Amino acid sequence: MKKIFFIVSFALIVNFSFAQGCSDAGLCSINHAFQSNEKEFRNTIEVAAILGAGESDVKYFSPYISYTKRFNEHYSFTSKVAFSAAKGSFGTKSQFGDAYLIGNYTFKEKNKKQWSTLVGLKFPFNSSNLKINGYSLPMDYQSSLGTMDLFLGTNLHYKKWDFNGAVQIPVINSNKNSYFKEYSGPDDFPSTNLFERKPDALLRATYSIKTTNNKFTIKPNLLFIYHLGEDSFENIFGKRETIAGSDGLTINGNLITAYDINKQNGIELSLATPFVVREVRPDGLTRSFVAGILYKYSF
Amino acid sequence: MRTVFLVFGLFVIICSCEVQGDLTSNTIAPAPVSPISILKSQGDFVPTSGISVAGGVKIYFEANQYKLKLENFSISDGPDLKVYLSKTSTPTEFVNLGNLNPAMIYSIPESVIISDYKYVLINCQQYNHLFAVASLIQN
Repeated sequence: MKKIFFIVSFALIVNFSFAQGCSDAGLCSINHAFQSNEKEFRNTIEVAAILGAGESDVKYFSPYISYTKRFNEHYSFTSKVAFSAAKGSFGTKSQFGDAYLIGNYTFKEKNKKQWSTLVGLKFPFNSSNLKINGYSLPMDYQSSLGTMDLFLGTNLHYKKWDFNGAVQIPVINSNKNSYFKEYSGPDDFPSTNLFERKPDALLRATYSIKTTNNKFTIKPNLLFIYHLGEDSFENIFGKRETIAGSDGLTINGNLITAYDINKQNGIELSLATPFVVREVRPDGLTRSFVAGILYKYSF
Repeated sequence: MRTVFLVFGLFVIICSCEVQGDLTSNTIAPAPVSPISILKSQGDFVPTSGISVAGGVKIYFEANQYKLKLENFSISDGPDLKVYLSKTSTPTEFVNLGNLNPAMIYSIPESVIISDYKYVLINCQQYNHLFAVASLIQN
């Protein structure tokens, strides 16, 4: 009962202390699905809250909850539901974002090297056309990209290093965004009417440092995301137009500090900022700063 | 397992309310149609199957700018309804003027050759379903 009270209190605190949120494309946070160091317990539930600063004056708050089931030492399955709230000069908009289903297979360790792979799907809860008082909002205020995406990834764990590689491919585009820069007061966001997004490829290198009492783990990591093509939208004349400069590289620096309260409970604090961003970022995913806190309970 | 369901249920309850604040940064304020505007064309809306519509549309010209105004307009509820200035009676070649708002005066972009556009359509963009058509008659 104490545990339930703690988890619920945490969820309430993170929901009511902040009033903002962020839309996660999914790729940045899927590395959790690779983690296979938990062997004693079959189930893990995570509750997280992420604060972010986006384009212009948009601020985000995005809690999520995930559940991981380990069937044996090889197979595990993760489901996740994300919520997002955005607040900026257009106003405040918040709604459920996406649901994730991710399957993970971990190979046997050989010569201190352990490989794992994952395949996953992201399902949007809306078509990325949330409005305020009937006015269309840019992608930066949407809680989802409005696409069903396929994730394919692999991870190599070697000594204190983890190397992730993954792709996120939109397979069904149900994006019905209807924001036109031409009909909007602010000039901060590009037109994204009937937005179509290209895939992403990710590479991440993480180094883990454990304190001598094994309570704290510090995980600095560098995350490279390449957007594989220019996104497009339908202009006011009903013609599809590519968005020049929307492809290219984003490089993020991320520092994760994990604290194991005991065998079953743990907390993580994550801080991230980009060092390199794409010239044009119409999808509203770019953050100038992200801070997240996560509570993990295994049973 | 009970814990999982309990926590998840509470999370859903906490987050399930969609929050919508006030629109604090408005779209470009449309200029009203002044008495010196010239009425260039007008038409009455005809509904498509299963839709009810009333009212019409008028296109005015003033200071090198064409403006579109809906008159006594009402229509069945629909998601994501847009106003199109169209070359045909179906949404194939059109100018998307934005979200439907019967109280709004729509500014027609200067690059549009107005004589090429003979219809005004009310179209649901989300499901690509045509709601109503007004054939424009030159004044």
